This record gives sequence, structure tokens and C-alpha cells, in this order.
Amino acid sequence: MRTAGITLISVALTCAVIGNAYYQKKQFYPSVVYITKSNPSMAVIYVQGLILVFIMNTFLRKIFFGNLRAAELEHLVERAWYAVTETCLAFTVFRDDFSPKFIALFTLLLFLKSFHWLAEDRVDFMERSPVITWLFHVRVLSLLTLLFTINGTMIEYAYMSTLTKGASVQLVFGFEYAILLTVVLNITIKYVLHTVDLQSENPWDNKAVFLLYTELIIGLLKVILYVAFVTIMVRIYTLPLFAFRPMYYTMRNFKKAFHDVVMSRRAIRNMNTLYPDATPEELAAADNVCIICREEMFTASKKLPCNHIFHTACLRSWFQRQQTCPTCRLNILRPTPANNGPRAQNQAPAPGQQAPQAAQAQGVNQQVDQPFQMPAGFWMGLQAQQGAGAQIQGQNNAPNIGLPPFQSVPPGSLPLFVPPFPPMVHLPPVPAPPPNLTTLTDEELRAMEGNMRQAVEARIQTLQRVQLLLDAANAMMSQYQTAAATANIPGPNVGSAAEAAEKEKKEEKANHSEDAGPSMSEQGKFAGEPLPGSSGVSNESIVQTDTKTMNATTSNENHATPSTSRTRTEPTDEKEMLRRRRLQKFIAQTTTTTD
Amino acid sequence: MAGSALRRLMAEYKQLTLNPPEGIIAGPINEENFFEWEALITGPEGTCFEGGVFPAKLIFPPDYPLSPPKMQFTCEMFHPNIYADGRVCISILHAPGDDPMGYESSAERWSPVQSVEKILLSVVSMLAEPNDESGANVDAAKMWREDRLEFERIAQKLVKKTLGIPI
Ligand SMILES: [Zn+2]
Ligand SMILES: [Zn+2]
Repeated sequence: MRTAGITLISVALTCAVIGNAYYQKKQFYPSVVYITKSNPSMAVIYVQGLILVFIMNTFLRKIFFGNLRAAELEHLVERAWYAVTETCLAFTVFRDDFSPKFIALFTLLLFLKSFHWLAEDRVDFMERSPVITWLFHVRVLSLLTLLFTINGTMIEYAYMSTLTKGASVQLVFGFEYAILLTVVLNITIKYVLHTVDLQSENPWDNKAVFLLYTELIIGLLKVILYVAFVTIMVRIYTLPLFAFRPMYYTMRNFKKAFHDVVMSRRAIRNMNTLYPDATPEELAAADNVCIICREEMFTASKKLPCNHIFHTACLRSWFQRQQTCPTCRLNILRPTPANNGPRAQNQAPAPGQQAPQAAQAQGVNQQVDQPFQMPAGFWMGLQAQQGAGAQIQGQNNAPNIGLPPFQSVPPGSLPLFVPPFPPMVHLPPVPAPPPNLTTLTDEELRAMEGNMRQAVEARIQTLQRVQLLLDAANAMMSQYQTAAATANIPGPNVGSAAEAAEKEKKEEKANHSEDAGPSMSEQGKFAGEPLPGSSGVSNESIVQTDTKTMNATTSNENHATPSTSRTRTEPTDEKEMLRRRRLQKFIAQTTTTTD
Repeated sequence: MAGSALRRLMAEYKQLTLNPPEGIIAGPINEENFFEWEALITGPEGTCFEGGVFPAKLIFPPDYPLSPPKMQFTCEMFHPNIYADGRVCISILHAPGDDPMGYESSAERWSPVQSVEKILLSVVSMLAEPNDESGANVDAAKMWREDRLEFERIAQKLVKKTLGIPI
């Protein structure tokens, strides 16, 4: 309404000015001369010109974009403000070139810029709407062609002008249009990628990667352009302050694009090397919906160490942002020591993952570290005689990170409660496992959820117990292993060799009790501690241990804290099942941490 | 084929339409743009928001579900976890590492496991049990702690307002 009013007033004024001139001079040429000589008349004509340009712009926008969405309009206004401010700043540098012609050129530039922004928004919108009409394609294609042509022409004009007349404000124009050309290029590439994706029947996994690289290359082009422009401007005129804000954003975008590409490459490399493809059997198993895209998985899926399966492409784009399992938040980028030989491969996740835990647990739960100190003494003696040393050392040291070396711990500094770990008992007892988790009532489980202090405490308590069990089991397994090693029984078959190992171990213990002197007597003190619900935790699960479940269970431990509270809003049955399964894993895990 | 974000949003919309959770309606404002939704949330029973129907809008990022959507009530709200302009501040709407309040564990943060439905259910439980450690609306948090009656009075007023009942 207001626009129409202004337009009408302007048209009326223009008519008055022209009518007045013609009335006074009666002829065409004198009238023109009269108008150009009179400042008020010229002002009216300029305003009229501006309004005509504006109407033209609105008209073109209607043709190419139809009605703007609210978000697009918001975007447009915001960017227009910056553009106007910067243009005004640019004028201050080129005061000498100031003339109506340049105002016209700058206005044209401004309107062209707005078309670029809108085109960009529109093409991005292709990813958001299920309805892409033919009209859309026709509009975008013709607009892009038009913009390409205009930009090219303007660059050529600016170039020729600079060559023939020397440096002038045309330098700024040439540069601005060069930047706009990169923008059109970017939009065109995006448009082509989106269109190809829309036409194909299957999801196009590599599109994201192509988009990343486009972003990177265009970003690089822009940075080069800006640097060149600023250099030239500084040499000929002064520091182009008006270019600083866009330059800053361009560089930031480039940095981000670079970072994204690096992350993407790393994600792809990890995908290809670290995680196995999910087998058809695994995919066929009950719930084969990818949690990221909510679509079924038939092929091209990866399994993480935590046994969660996702589409390769979905996982890749997630890993660009975070290196965690989307479902259980297990951090999948923990450094894995690769130099411990093939057997270490199986154990690699264990030490790496336990280290931070042990360190963290120290504050909360001193006794957790204790089981390691005693067996550590035990190993000190053993290592002197045996070749198995290196590997065991790896196992024992990792969990003790942050602790003083074993020998330097004064016996008096042991905390009040030390989990019983008498080495001479037939089956070394372990500390109390968590209450039988499979038979927990819903009530009890619910008590462990939520954010209330009690719930958190309950969770921590259970986890501490689990940790305790884990560490104890770890030490036990180390003992078994060394015993097995001395008896020349192949390591990985601990399960089948368990009985033999047990016998061996008794002998070993007898031999080494002198070596481990002080700590043994320490243990003696605590050997009598009650062992509630202890030892039954199963030889079975040791026997069943294989590499796969081991990896799974060890990593499960890691995300236990987050996941207990996460599932609040899932359907109850499913949630119940999941929780049960997870808790079962806890128990299994207490005996299978290491092999 | 449409982008994965769009496909997932369409799947979620379908799911929400087929099995709507109680007291929640949500869907795209305009089916040409699946990245802007509106939702109607019924105040949970037995709370001071009971009976109210609160409109909100959800804006999804282009890389949804890798990044969380933003949620904003479009009616007047007075709640410790809702900013004065209606933006909702709950942990599920923040990606890990982005922690405006500095107290949330990463456990309940955004991840692709979450969904519109879970967000809306979390908002319902947030209405029922405000987290007064959050500083989204300090006045509301303080009133919730110290003057529950006054808080409930204001909430009731808002409920009436959303229903168009003159106060
Ligand atoms: Zn997927
Ligand atoms: Zn996982």
C-alpha cells in the first residue's frame, strides 16, 4: 500500500516536472536542458529512476521466485542492511568518482546481490521440500543463466575499463562481480547435485562428500579473491574497510569447510579400516532399522565395537560431527595401541578404555584400584622370569594410570575397604556383584533412572560395583593367563584350559609368594572378608568368551552411565528388553574383560 | 530421491500421525516445507499447566537428525526452562559439547536416537517437573522454588489465555 502511494506521488511529481518544463520551453530539447539545469527537477527525476528500478526489481523477483517465504524475506532484509552499509563505506573511498552513474551501478549491484542470496536460499530449499515443481526448475535454471551472463559481462566491462582508464571504482565492481560469480557457481553445483539426487531412485551417499568439496573449493576461490583485492586496494588506495566483514566471514567459512573435509576424511578412513561391515545375518536380526535415518538396512552397513549397526553413509555423516556411537555414545576414537602384536588387538580396547575410568574412579572409589596393586606385585616377580611380561605389563599398567608405582604405595595408605583377593583360594573370589540384575523389578530399575540424587547415586553405586568386579576379573584373568603361559598352553584358549591353568596357578602361587612378600601379607589380612554373592559369577562365561563378545562387553561398560538414563521415553516393553540385555552384559562382562 | 533429512522428517511425521502420543499434535506448518513444524502440547494432568493447550514451533536444521531442532513456544509462557521469547531450554535439544547452562550431562543430549516425539514428551515432562537449576527464566525458577502458589496462579492464568477464556 505504502509502496503504491510513494510510486504514485513520484509519478505525479515527475509528470509535474516534465509538464512544467514543456510548458515553459514548448520544445523537446530546451525542455531537457531546462530539467538538467534545475536541481529540484533532477532530484525528482532521480527519485523516479530509483523507484522504477525498485519496481523492476520487484517484478523480476516475482517472475523468478514467486512469493518469498518468511525466512527468505528475513534473510534478505538482514543481508541487505549489511550490503548497504558496506556500499556506503565503499563510497567514502571513491569520493572522487562519485556521480549519479555510480549510484546507479551500485544500486544495480545491490539488486543483483539480492537475487544471488534468494537463489541460494531457493536451491537450499530443494532439500527441504518434497514438492519440487517443473516451474521451480525452469525458474532456477533461467535465473542462474541470467546471473552468469550479467556477472560475466560486468567483470569484462570492469576489466576493460581498468585497462583503458586506469584504476577506478570499477576495480570494486569487477571484484564484487567476481565474488558473485563464485556464488553462482556454488549455487549451480549445488543445484545440479540436488537435482541428480532427486532423480535417482536410491539415496546418493556421496552427495554429502561432493557438497563438502564444493564448499571447500569455492571457499578457497573466494579467499584468494579477497586477498588479491585487499592487496590491490592497499597498493592503489587505502585499506578497504568495507571488505573486511565479508572477508572475515569468507575466511571463517573456508576454515570450517576445511575442518569439515578433514573430519569427513577421517570418518571415512575410520569407517573403512576400523569397523566391520555388518553381515547379512546381523542385518536380518530383529531390529534392522538404522537409528539415524529410520530406514531399513539391507546393505552397506557398519557395525561399531558396541554392536550397534548403522548405514555406512549415515554413520559417516554423523562421525563428521561427533566420534561417538549415536545410540550409546560410546566414544569410538579412543587411541588403540597397535604395537602389541596380534593378541593385543583383542585387548586393545580394554586398557585404552579403562585408563580414563580408573583415573576417574579414583576420586569416587579408591578401592577400585586395589585389586590391581596386589596382582601387580605378583607380576613383578613373574616378569623377571617370564617372557609374557610385555603384554601383561600393558594390561596392568593401563588401569593404574595416575597411580604411583606399586612399590611406592605405603601399606598403611590402603583405604579401609579392600576387596578381598586372596590368591591362594581355589577360585579367587571377587567382590560382590551388583544385585542380580536380570531379576530386578521394574521399581528398582526405575529407581536407577531419572535425575534425582537418589537415582544418580544408585546408578553410580551399581557402576562402581561393576567396575570393581571388572577390575577383579581383569586381575584374575591375568593370573590365569600367566599360569597358562607357564604351562605352555596357548593363550586364547583360556576357557578350555581353565582347569589346567588353575592347577598350574596353585603351583605358581606357591612359588611366587616369597617374591610378592609384603602385599601377600596384606592380602592375608583381608582374605577373611565376607564375600557376598561372590564367586558364582561364572566360569561359564569365561568359557564362552570369544573376541567378539569381549569387545562388545568391554565397550558396553563405557557407555553404561549415559545409557541408563537415556531411554526414558521409549515404549516400555522394548525399553525393558533393552535394559535387561544391557544389564546381562554387565554381568557377563565382569568375568570377560580380558582373555 | 529426497535428502535424508527430509525423508526422516517425513517418516517421523507419518509415525506421529499414525500413533500420536497422548496430548501432543505435531506436523509441518506447510507440507511444502518439512523443516518447520508446529506442535500443540496439552498441559500435563495434575500440574498447574493442566488444561492448557500450548502452541509451539519447531525449526529443523538442514542436517537433521545430526543436529537438534530448535523449539519455541508461540504463546506466552512462564516456566523456569523457557526463555521469555518462548525458546525451550532442555538438554535433549542441545548437542553434546554445547552447554549453555553448564550443568547437563551428555547423557540426555541430542543424538540421532532422539526424535520429535521424544522431544515433545520431554517438554511435557518439563512442564510437569521444571528443572529449577536452569537459568532460562530466572524469575520463574525463583518463584517455582520460593512461591509455588504464585507460580501456579500465573500458570493458570496462562492456561486460560491459551484457551481464549477471558481472565
Ligand atoms: Zn541410515
Ligand atoms: Zn553403540
